[in-house]
Amino acid sequence: MLSIKCPFCGYRSQKEFAYGGDGTVKRPELNQEISDDKWNEFVYLRKSPRGKHVELWHHVAGCRQWFKVQRDTVTHEIFQTAKMNEEIK
Amino acid sequence: MIQVSSLNFVHKVGKFGDHDKKSDNDLLKVSEINGLLIFQIAKYKNSSFDTSKIKLDGLSFPSSLNSTSNSKTRILWYGPDCWLVFSYNLDLIDKEKNQFNEIDFAITDISHSRTIIELEGSLVNEVLKKGCPLDINSLKVDNCVNSVYNGVTITIDIISDNPKKVRILGLRSFGESLYHSLTDSCLEFGYKAV
Repeated sequence: MLSIKCPFCGYRSQKEFAYGGDGTVKRPELNQEISDDKWNEFVYLRKSPRGKHVELWHHVAGCRQWFKVQRDTVTHEIFQTAKMNEEIK
Repeated sequence: MIQVSSLNFVHKVGKFGDHDKKSDNDLLKVSEINGLLIFQIAKYKNSSFDTSKIKLDGLSFPSSLNSTSNSKTRILWYGPDCWLVFSYNLDLIDKEKNQFNEIDFAITDISHSRTIIELEGSLVNEVLKKGCPLDINSLKVDNCVNSVYNGVTITIDIISDNPKKVRILGLRSFGESLYHSLTDSCLEFGYKAV
């Protein structure tokens, strides 16, 4: 069981959170031409890194906010969490 | 329209669990709180309105993980820029509406969609610990936290420390499950449903 530091509520049990996928994916710019390949990449293709990974998590049973988590996918160690408008250093 | 409380067919008055040879003061007390006006106030993300100016029934909005209260109204922090208001003043929204303009705030009446269970007694913390992953002992009076109880999303509102009194809020649709979950946890200590 992970203990995750929500930027709004502090340390909470993993039970209160939902995993939200890769936090580095950027949505293509609005009103721009985009190829099918690029769209396919945005919608479906994800990296599966071994080691540090920036992810999105949702504090679904808490403050109901999305935030970023930098986690090691091997050890599950959490290095940093940040609000959506903050950068993970 | 007739209002039927969410636990109307579930909550039975009496003593249950290990209550033999125990005085009423030693038993946990479980009750349903109903007949309240409940509404959610959410400030829009693009709003720069200063909420510290607002006084609702004389109460300011609480900081994170806290609540403010008077004899009739409680305001709970429910998330960033989001608050839950509970009041016995059933016309509170109508009275205070002019403080909240539609550009900055969304106000939603959710009086019909919440279950509130109140637990009272010295063993309340032990009951909560059985299903909730929080550090329950660190919670003090006027703290309020969202969490889970045996998988059901809840809000815990600490009403008083002496006597220990806590309100557990859940969605009405989960009310029956939450009630059974809490009362099952109370059986070991003995409880009086009032």
